[in-house]
Amino acid sequence: MRISEIFYPNSLGDLLELLKANPELLIVAGGTEVVGMQASKSLSFPAQIASISHLPELQKTTRSEQYLEVGCCTTLSGLLTLSSGALPAPLPQVIQSIGNPAIRNTATIGGNLCCKRRFMDLWPFLACIDAQMEIRSLHGNRWAGVSHLSDDAGLPQFPEASILTRIRIPLHAPNFSFFKKLGNSRFPSPESAYFVCMAEISHDKIESFRLIFAGERAFRLKDHEATLIGRRVPLSQKDIQPIVDYYSAEFVEKTGNDNYQFNALTEESLGRISGQ
Amino acid sequence: MTIDFVLNGKPQKTQIRSGDRLVYVLQKLGDFPSLIPDCLGGNCGRCLVFMDGRLIYSCLTPAFKAKGSSIVTYEGFSATEDCKDIIYGLKQASAFPCNFCRKAKIMMIADLLKRIPLPEETDIMEQMSIVSCPCTDPVSLAKAVLLSAECRNKRKFKRADK
Repeated sequence: MRISEIFYPNSLGDLLELLKANPELLIVAGGTEVVGMQASKSLSFPAQIASISHLPELQKTTRSEQYLEVGCCTTLSGLLTLSSGALPAPLPQVIQSIGNPAIRNTATIGGNLCCKRRFMDLWPFLACIDAQMEIRSLHGNRWAGVSHLSDDAGLPQFPEASILTRIRIPLHAPNFSFFKKLGNSRFPSPESAYFVCMAEISHDKIESFRLIFAGERAFRLKDHEATLIGRRVPLSQKDIQPIVDYYSAEFVEKTGNDNYQFNALTEESLGRISGQ
Repeated sequence: MTIDFVLNGKPQKTQIRSGDRLVYVLQKLGDFPSLIPDCLGGNCGRCLVFMDGRLIYSCLTPAFKAKGSSIVTYEGFSATEDCKDIIYGLKQASAFPCNFCRKAKIMMIADLLKRIPLPEETDIMEQMSIVSCPCTDPVSLAKAVLLSAECRNKRKFKRADK
């Protein structure tokens, strides 16, 4: 078993210094993702680890009229215990679909978003509602959309020598949402994927539309989403079919897979928007 | 490296390696028959402990995360009134978990009642997913949880006699 060096930084500043000195540093908050993947009796880690769950500045929760701001070390259980109505629908449902209560007591929102090998449950939903994240490095801090955690090819990305510190979740979510989790594993597996479709429907018109499918890759057609704005609902089957066909063809082109489940979910969500 | 934490109310100082799972470190610190990890994957529940009041799988927790925390195993919890309420509820409902999972299920119920003193059926069913052993029928177990809750709430929230 390789012996790793473990650090317990006293502040965020200490952590950033550590990160600068050790670019390969593994930052562990809950640790469920890195431990859940390992089946051996002893765990294997990179040469340097920083444990950060004790840092109070990464656990703070504040709320304004428009946003909920949570520290990256907030556990998923902690999010669920916020007063009812503090989370936009269907975020509580998305969180409850993750693991079980004992896993959610350990797993954190930051860990769920920063997984380097794939996208996990929260990312597609938070990207759909334009949640923001604060990224800190020794050069300063900046806010960016959570959607920036996906690169142009739809693969997970995260800036070097930086840490995700806070997530700003808008309290108002679109009035239509459809969420489906695929796969049957407690921990993310190759077949796990998440489908989210959200729309704002007002006066029988689509005001905004988002559709994200994410697993090992993220799939989203931002330009096409814009073309659906202004459409009258209910959509007829004649309207829905060309949209499904377009999404299906793009999905094959971008991911190389013909995914029956994706096509069925796209059709299902458009049908639900139309009340079918 | 050396870490210190509180285990069942007693301060501990122990040597760990970076790759140690918490459950194995706890096993070395005393006689804890409740800690016999079987799956190392957060399924069987035979490593459940309370860390800083929250129920966790100690097999899924790296030992270095225990630094500065307070840990309670089933052996520490079994002396409490809360545990007696749960055992009472299980007996009254004729729900008898097997020897493999009995302690894990008691810890699982304790966590639920701590978070939700009056749980609903959906809360109970969700909590049951923490321990995968199918030895007890869910209906009896749900009844046991409700009886335990009633007993616990009577004791904790009893009004002072006039």
